[in-house]
Amino acid sequence: MAEELLKKEETGETEELLEDDDSQKGMFMTFQTGKEFFGISISYVNEIIAMQPIAAIPEVEDYVKGLINLRGKIIPVIDVRVRFKMEPCEYTDRTCIIVIDVKSTMIGLIVERLADVDTIAEDSIAPPPSLGRKEHEHNKYVYGLARTGDTVTLLLDPEKLIKQDDIVAAMEDVRKDEQS
Amino acid sequence: MAEEFNTESMLDIFLYESGQLLEKLEGIILEKQDADCFDDDDINEIFRVMHTIKGSSGVLMYENITKVTHKLEDVFYYLRESHPDDVPHMELVEKVLAVSDFVTGELDKLKNGETPDGDEKQLVEDLDEFLGRLKGEITKQGIQMPQANKHVEPTQFYITPVAGDDSHFYRISIHYRSDTQMSNLRAYSATYALKEVAEDLLYTPDDILSNEASADVIVAEGFHMLLQTKSSKEEVIALIDSSEAEEINFDELSKEEYGRALSEFGREEAEPAAAAPAATKDENNKEAKKEGPKPGDYVVKTKEAGKGKTLAKNQPKQQSIISVNVEKMDALMDLIGELVIAEAVVLQNPDLKVPGLELSNFQKASGQLSKITTELQEVIMSMRMMPLTNTFQKMRRIVFDVSRKLGKDIELEVIGENTEVDKNIIEHITDPLMHLVRNSVDHGIEENPEDRTSIGKPAKGKITLEAKNEGGKVYISVKDDGKGLSKEKLYQKALDKGLIENKAMSEFTEKEIFRFITLPGFSTKEEVTEYSGRGVGMDVVVKNIQSISGRLDISSVEFEGSEMTLVIPLTLAIINGIVVQVGNSPFVIETASIKEFVRVGEDSLISEPSGEEYIVLRGECYPFIRLNQRYDLPDSIDKIEEGIIVVLEHEGSQVCVLIDKLLQEQEIVVKPIPSYVRKVKGLSGCTQLGDGSIALILDIAGLLMHDGERR
Repeated sequence: MAEELLKKEETGETEELLEDDDSQKGMFMTFQTGKEFFGISISYVNEIIAMQPIAAIPEVEDYVKGLINLRGKIIPVIDVRVRFKMEPCEYTDRTCIIVIDVKSTMIGLIVERLADVDTIAEDSIAPPPSLGRKEHEHNKYVYGLARTGDTVTLLLDPEKLIKQDDIVAAMEDVRKDEQS
Repeated sequence: MAEEFNTESMLDIFLYESGQLLEKLEGIILEKQDADCFDDDDINEIFRVMHTIKGSSGVLMYENITKVTHKLEDVFYYLRESHPDDVPHMELVEKVLAVSDFVTGELDKLKNGETPDGDEKQLVEDLDEFLGRLKGEITKQGIQMPQANKHVEPTQFYITPVAGDDSHFYRISIHYRSDTQMSNLRAYSATYALKEVAEDLLYTPDDILSNEASADVIVAEGFHMLLQTKSSKEEVIALIDSSEAEEINFDELSKEEYGRALSEFGREEAEPAAAAPAATKDENNKEAKKEGPKPGDYVVKTKEAGKGKTLAKNQPKQQSIISVNVEKMDALMDLIGELVIAEAVVLQNPDLKVPGLELSNFQKASGQLSKITTELQEVIMSMRMMPLTNTFQKMRRIVFDVSRKLGKDIELEVIGENTEVDKNIIEHITDPLMHLVRNSVDHGIEENPEDRTSIGKPAKGKITLEAKNEGGKVYISVKDDGKGLSKEKLYQKALDKGLIENKAMSEFTEKEIFRFITLPGFSTKEEVTEYSGRGVGMDVVVKNIQSISGRLDISSVEFEGSEMTLVIPLTLAIINGIVVQVGNSPFVIETASIKEFVRVGEDSLISEPSGEEYIVLRGECYPFIRLNQRYDLPDSIDKIEEGIIVVLEHEGSQVCVLIDKLLQEQEIVVKPIPSYVRKVKGLSGCTQLGDGSIALILDIAGLLMHDGERR
C-alpha cells in the first residue's frame, strides 16, 4: 500500500508540475487578516480544514499554537496574525486552518477568514516597496504586492514564513542563557 | 515499464533471499567452527546455498558473485561426492567465510544502488588452489576418486540430474505455422509443461522469454528441445500444446545419442570441448552426470529434479515467512491507530446520548467491534517484534574473527537468542553490542593462556552472550571470564587523562569507577589495536543506548571477569503510560518511571528563598516541580493538597511533580513532535488519546536535567 501511496504521490507531483506550468500558475489562495489580504501560491496548499482543538506546547514561540491531529498525522499550527506581530483575535467559525506543505514539512496556518482563489498575472506583481530599509527586512516573507480590483494582496513566501531567522535567533538566545 | 518493475522486484527478492541464505550459511559455519569437519547435512546445505545464490546471481548477470559462488560450490560438490578425509577444516571455514563476506559486500553495493564490481579473481584463485590441494592429497593417498571428477574439468561441472536406468531421452522439434503469433511464448509454455516431468531439459533458442526476436527464429527454424524424463513418449506428447504446431518431431534417443546431442546443443558455448567428453564419458558409468553449460544457460529443473528428494529431508522445519516493506507496516500501524480513534468517535458520539434511548443491539455490536480493534492492535504490535537471532549471529562471527586474529582461544555461549525485541531497537543495539563483544574478546580475555591457567581458570576463554526479557525490559549481557576490570588502573588512568576531578579513589563507588570507561577519550588498552583501544567506543555505546532510553550496567570482579549489560525497553513505539491532566492539557507519563502517587499537605512543602521548593516524604527530601508553572499552563491547581504529587524516578534520581488529576492508564503509541517545533526540554514526544486529542509525553530525564540546570 505504501508503494501505491508513493506512486500516487509521484504521479501527483508530476501532475502538479504539469499544472504548475499551466493551470496552477499564477493561482493564489487569498485570505483576510485584519484589513489586509494575503495570498499563498496554491501549489503549496494541501487542504483547508475547519478550526479544531489544538494541543498547546509549552515553551515555544507565541505564534506556534500547538499541534493538531490531522487524520492520524500530527502537525504543528501557527497563527498567522501572531506571526505578523498583530494582535491575536478570537477564533470564530470563519476561522480556518490552511494546511500547507513546504518541502515536505506539513504546517497548518490559522487564518481569520478565507477570501478566494485568484489568478494573479505575473506582471501585476510588484516587489514590496523598500523605503530604503533594505537591511531591516521586516517583511521578507512578503515577496510581492498584487493589485486585484481595488484591493492589494500581499503575496507570501511560505518557505520564509515557516522557517525563519527569528527562531534561529531565539534558539541562540536560549543557548546563551544556558551558558551564562 | 512493466519490465523495469520486474527487474526491480527481482533484485529485491534476490537481495532478500541471498541475505537470508548467507545468514544461514554463517550460522552453519560458526556452529561447526570447532568441529573437525562438516557433516553431510551441512555440506549439502552449504552446497545448496551456494547453488541458489549462483543461480539467481547468474540470472541477474552479477558475474563476479556467480563465479565465486560457483567455485565454492565446486569445492563442496567435491566434498559431497568424494568424502575426503583430512580436510583442513579451519581453512575451509575461512574460505567459506571469505566467500560469504565477498557476496555480502557485493549485496551491500547493490542495496546502495551501486554496481557490484568487487574483484573476484583472487578469491577464485584461492579456491581453485584449495580445491586442487584437496584433490591432490586424495590422489596421493591413493583413494579412488569418483569417476566423474577424473573426466571433468572441475571448473566446468554443473550439476544435472542423475540419469536413472529407466530414464528416456527424447529430441523434440516443434515447427509452428508461419503465421503463429508469439511463438516464443508458445515454446515457453511447452517447456513449462515439460518441466513437470523433466529430469533435464535443454532447448534452443534459449532466450525465448527475454528476446522477442526469438519468435521469428522459432517460426523459421523450429523449436528444439532435448528432454530426459521418466515419462513415456505418450505422456510427453500429451503435455505439449500442439494447437498451433504444424509439425512435432519426436525422436527417442539412446543415452549415447543424447550425450552427443547435448554436446551439439552446447556447441555455441565457450567450452564445447569440456562439455562433450564429459557428457559422453559419463554415460559409461552410472555416476552423476555433468556437463558444462555456463550459469546463464537454461538448464531447467536441475534444482528440483536433481536434489529435491534429498533436500526435502534435510530442510529444517521452516516457518512460512513473507517479508514486508517496513513502510507498509508503519502505514498499517498508523491506519490502525486511526481506526481506534474513529471507533471511539463513533461509540462515544454525542448523538447517541439521547436520554431513554434503547441501544442494546448497538452496544452488542460495538462491543464486538472494540474487541476486534484491540486484537488488531495487538497483532500489529507483535508483527514488529523480531528475535535477536540474527544479531547474535553477527556476534558469533565477530568473536570468531577477532579471537582468531588475536590468537586467543575463546568459546562463545549464546543464551536466549529467541528473545523478541522491536525491530527499531534491534537496529540501534547491533553496533553497541558489537563493540561490547569486541571489547570482551580484545580486552577481557587474557592474552596468554598461562595467565589463565595459573589462577585456576580453564585455558580456553569463555564469553557468554545472553538475552532475557524481564518486566517490560530486555536485558542483553556480554559476560567474559577474563581478567576483569581493575579499579586501581581505571582510576589512575582516568586521573592521568584528566577525565575526573582530583579526588581520592575511595570517594568513588565501585560503580562510578567502572563507569569511567564510558567517558569519552578513555581507553585502558595500552596499544591501539585493529579492534579496540582508540577510546572512542564506550562513550558512543552509551550514547546509542541512551538514545533508545536504555542504559548500560557494568559489573566486574578483577581476575574473574566482567559483565556488561544493556537494559533496553522492549519497544520504542508503544509505552505503557498514565494520562494525567494539568490545566486543560493532558500529559502522558511512562508507567515504569512512576514510583507513586501521593497527596500531601502544605506542611510537607519546603520553600527556599530562591524560589526552589522541596517535598518531604517519609523523611526524605525530593525536588519539586509544578508542571503548571514550568509550562505556564492556565486554569490549574496551585494548592498542593488539592492536586496530586507524582513521584518519578529516573536512573536513581527522583523528582516530585504536581499535577491536577489522573485520567487513565493506557498503552500509547509514541509519535515524535514535528521537527518544525523547537525541542522542548522535558517533552519526549506526543501521542493521540482515544478521543483523537493530542497529549504530550513527559520525559523524566529531561525534566530532571532542566531542573538541575536551573539550579
